[in-house]
Amino acid sequence: MGQRGSKIEVTKADRAILQLKISKDEIHKYARRTESLIASEDLQLRNIIKADPKASNKNPRARLLLKKIHYQRRLLEQASDQLINLENMVATVEFKLVEQQFIIGLRQGNEILTKLNKEFTGVDDLMDQVQDQIAYQDEIDQVLSSSIVGSYEDELERELKQLDREVNGSVKQSEMPSVEGPTKQPEMPSVEGLPEPQPEREEPAVEEERPHEAPLLA
Amino acid sequence: MTTNLPAIYSFPPLYTCQPNALIREQQLTVWCEIIVEFAKKERVWCITAEGTPAKDGGDKQSVFRNDVIQRSVKSTFIEEIWHKMIETEKALRIDSDSNYFILWRSLDSWSALILQWFESSGKLNQVITLYELIEGDETLGCEFHGMDSMLMEKCLLRLRERGRASLLKDQNKVMGVKVV
Repeated sequence: MGQRGSKIEVTKADRAILQLKISKDEIHKYARRTESLIASEDLQLRNIIKADPKASNKNPRARLLLKKIHYQRRLLEQASDQLINLENMVATVEFKLVEQQFIIGLRQGNEILTKLNKEFTGVDDLMDQVQDQIAYQDEIDQVLSSSIVGSYEDELERELKQLDREVNGSVKQSEMPSVEGPTKQPEMPSVEGLPEPQPEREEPAVEEERPHEAPLLA
Repeated sequence: MTTNLPAIYSFPPLYTCQPNALIREQQLTVWCEIIVEFAKKERVWCITAEGTPAKDGGDKQSVFRNDVIQRSVKSTFIEEIWHKMIETEKALRIDSDSNYFILWRSLDSWSALILQWFESSGKLNQVITLYELIEGDETLGCEFHGMDSMLMEKCLLRLRERGRASLLKDQNKVMGVKVV
């Protein structure tokens, strides 16, 4: 029968509310009892009056009963006032409990917030450092990129020029004879045309001249 | 009393223990139904072994006596009826005063009904006294209004077994309950 084993927590506040409610119940019980008492006394009074309609005004029992009824009614009113007070009290306590939860929640939130904020204390230094590091990194980047670009570009330029010299230079040398050779050859016939009257003699002479011309042009 | 009960209540052979086993079984079942019906209609939670409602003093008549047809059940047969009632879980013997709770709903059914009230009226996670549950103005329309406090305690114990309720004691007596 022990209620200790149950999982649901019973707090001090619950016990206090229980006590409040028990007293409330007592008043409730009292009110009911009084109500039935009043009802029965009222019935008695009515019976007396019915039994003796003429003397009822002077009948001490009837007076007494009426007084009693009035008194009980007043008590009943007081009881209901108290009942309302107790009910208000219970409601207030219950609301306070909710408020307590609210405060607890607020406090916990605040704790966490301060704890988190504590971790941000060195944030200025940290940010400065980060800024410095970033600036430094930029510097390094610039230095590195500029130096690479400078030397590399120069080297490239140099290499390209060299290549150009090599390639273009050799091309001129090798192409000249091949290009000018054929162009000269068409002229040959005209040259050959002049000494047509003596083709047998001139021809070998022209052939002899050609090897001379080529080295001269180059 | 007879007006609320089935017609067979005025059938004289019902009051004599029938020798035939089959018929007696039927007879016992009918008696169980009558008692349950009687308790439900009269909203009697607790009946003495003699068949009178336990709470309203001695002026009420025993369910085992029918003055209209001038018949009554013998005590040995009454015992048999109670035995049958407990066997079919229609009644619960009270240890302290050998009276019986009549369960026209099973304990589980009652506890479910009470739990439903807690849920629907927003009383969860609050302390409610047994008196409030039984006599309070808020349960006036409920079927369990006016229930015997000991029976109510048993129902709440069922809720506690299910982990839904916690009973609060005051001066070693269960006074309140907190349902979550």
